[in-house]
Amino acid sequence: MKKILIVDDSEMNRSMLSEMLEREYLVFEAENGKDAVSMLSRYDTEIDLVLLDIVMPEMDGLDVLKAMKKNGWLTDIPVIMISSEMNPEVIHQAYELGATDFITRPFDIYVVQRRCRNMINLYSKQKNLAGMVADQYFEREKDSRLMINILAHIVEYRNSECGMHVIYVQNYTDILLHELIKITDKYDLDETKISLIIKTAALHDVGKICIPEEILNKPGRLTDEEFKIMKSHSAVGSQMLADLPFHKDEPLVKMAYDIARWHHERWDGRGYPDGLVGDEVPISAQVVALADVYDALTAERCYKKAFSHATALEMITKGECGQFNPLLITCLNNAAEQIRLVKEGNQGGNMDYDVREFARDLLKNESLYSSDRLLHLLEYEKMKNRFFEGISGSCSFEYTMNAKMLTLSPTAAKALGLPETLMDPVHNETFIKIFGKEKLHDLNAKFRALPPDNPIVQFCFYVVEEKKPNSDEVVRTFRICDPADGEVKFPENAQVTEYKLICRAAFTVAEPQRYTGVIGKLVPAQREYDIMKGVDISDFA
Amino acid sequence: MTLRECYESIGSDFSAAVTRMCGREEMLLKFVKKFTSDPSYSSLVSSFESGDVATAFRMAHTLKGVCLNLGLDKLRQSASDLTEALRNAQSTSEVQAELYNKVKQDYEMTEKAISLLD
Repeated sequence: MKKILIVDDSEMNRSMLSEMLEREYLVFEAENGKDAVSMLSRYDTEIDLVLLDIVMPEMDGLDVLKAMKKNGWLTDIPVIMISSEMNPEVIHQAYELGATDFITRPFDIYVVQRRCRNMINLYSKQKNLAGMVADQYFEREKDSRLMINILAHIVEYRNSECGMHVIYVQNYTDILLHELIKITDKYDLDETKISLIIKTAALHDVGKICIPEEILNKPGRLTDEEFKIMKSHSAVGSQMLADLPFHKDEPLVKMAYDIARWHHERWDGRGYPDGLVGDEVPISAQVVALADVYDALTAERCYKKAFSHATALEMITKGECGQFNPLLITCLNNAAEQIRLVKEGNQGGNMDYDVREFARDLLKNESLYSSDRLLHLLEYEKMKNRFFEGISGSCSFEYTMNAKMLTLSPTAAKALGLPETLMDPVHNETFIKIFGKEKLHDLNAKFRALPPDNPIVQFCFYVVEEKKPNSDEVVRTFRICDPADGEVKFPENAQVTEYKLICRAAFTVAEPQRYTGVIGKLVPAQREYDIMKGVDISDFA
Repeated sequence: MTLRECYESIGSDFSAAVTRMCGREEMLLKFVKKFTSDPSYSSLVSSFESGDVATAFRMAHTLKGVCLNLGLDKLRQSASDLTEALRNAQSTSEVQAELYNKVKQDYEMTEKAISLLD
C-alpha cells in the first residue's frame, strides 16, 4: 500500500482528508511542520506523497518545503499543497519552493483522490524509469569493461604467465591516479577521465598479439634482434588502434592509443617508440608505464623471479627501470601501502572483482566441465573399442546419420582398402564401387526401416576371391545379400568365404525414438551359427 | 431538522457541499456535527481577545478552511474577511474588531443550527 502523509494543523481537516484516502492508502498525519519533517526523516522516501497545508504553527508549509528540498526528498516525494490560501503570492512561492501541485479549498473528494493517484503513479513510473536507466548504464559500463578485459586477457593468454597482469596494472593505475590528483591539479583529470584511463589501461599490451610466441615466452635473455621485435609491440598496438575502421574518434580509442603507444616511454626520453620527454608523454601513459613496471617487477616471469614490494619500490625510485615523472614517484611512495595490499591480493579493486572472477572461470572452463567430462568418457570408450577390435582383428562398422560418417574397425578398413573413417559413404565413389550404388541405397532403406523394439538385422556377407586370367593376381570382391534374396551365384572358379553381417540400428534416447545410425559386425558364418545357437538374438538389443 | 434545512437556515449551499463529498450526505453530516468541537474557533476567540494577532490570523485562516470544505458559506465569508484583515497585522484595530464580531455572530448562528440537527 502506498503511503500518504497529511500535514495540517486542523484535526478536522486531517480527518476529512484521511477519510477520503484511507481506503486506498496508508495514511500518516502530522499536525504541524515540525512533526512533518520528523516523520519524513523517519520514513524517508517510503512516503509516496505529502498533502501539505500552508498556514500552520511551529513550522509552516513553506518551511516544510524548504526542509524537504534541503534533504533531497523533493526529488522523490511529490507534494500537493492543500490550502484555503487565495493569496497568489503565497501560492507562487509554494510552487517556487518545489510544490508539485496545489489544491484550493473547498476541495472535491473525487478530485483529491484522482490527483493523489495520478501524482503517485507519475512518480513511481519516474522512479522505475530512473532505476532502469541507472541499471542499464551500470550494466553497459560493466559489460564494456568486461569486453575490454576479455580482449586484453586474450592477448595475455599467449603470454603463458598468469592472467592477472592486466587487472593489477588497472588497480595500480587507479591508485596512482587518485594519489596524483591529491597532490597536484597540473593534469586535466576528473573521475570520468580517470575511469577511462583505467578502462583502457587493459589494452596497453594489445600489440603483443603480433609478437611471436617464441619471443613472448622465451625463458632466457632476448637477443638484440628479438628485443627489437618485442619492443615493436607498443608501436604496433597503437597502429592497430589507429587503423580501426570504426569509432576512431571515440575518446576510448584515443585514450587506448596513447597508452598502447607510449607506455614504454620514459621521463628522460630514453624510452620507446618515440623517445618523448617529460610531459610530452600523456599522463595516462606515464601512469600506466609505472604501474606496468611495478607489476612486472613484483610478478614472476618466465625469465625472472618476483621481487618483493620493497625491492621493487626501491628499484623504481632509484631509476633502475628508467626515469619516471618525479610526481608519480611521490605518488607511488605515498600509496605504497595501498599498492602492497593490492599486490598481496588482500584488497583487489572492487570494480574488477567480477571481471577477474569471470576471467578465472574462463580459464577453468568451469561451465564446460560436465560436457568436457562426457566428451572425455566418450573418447575413452572409443579408444577402448578400437584397442580390443585391433587385437581381435574383428571387422565392424559404425554409421552415424547426423555426421554422415562411417567408422570402420582397423581390420575392416584394411580388408576393404578404405580409411577408417569415411564421410558420406553413400556418395563415396570407392565405397560405391565396392558394394554397388543400388545395394547401398537398399541397405540404407532397410536400416532406416528397423523398429526400435526389433533393431537387429542379418545379412550374408561374401568375400569372393578370383584369379585374374593369365595372372597370379587375386581380385577380391565383396557382396552383401539378404538371406531372403535366395540363392546367390558366384563365378565358377572363385573362392568364396561366407560371413554373417549382424547389424543393429541406433535410435535417439528421447521419445519419439528416431533412427540415428547403425552399427554392425562381421562374424564367420559357421561360428556365428554356433554363437547364435541357444542364444536369442534379441539379447543383442 | 434535516441537514438541508440546517444549511438553508444559515444561508449556505447544501447541494454544493454534498456534491464535493461525492454525494455522501452521511459523511457531510458527520463532519458538520464534529464542527462545533473543532478548537479553531475557541482559539480564535482567546487569541484575538488577548491581542495575539499572529495566532488569531492562523486560527481565522483555519476556521475559514474548515468552513470552505463543509460549505458553511456565511461563516466562511466572515472568517475570510477577518483573515485578510489580520494578515501581516501588528496589532488589533477597530476594523478587525468589527469583522471579529461578525465572525462571532455567524458562528453562534451556525452552532445553534447544528445543535438542532436530528
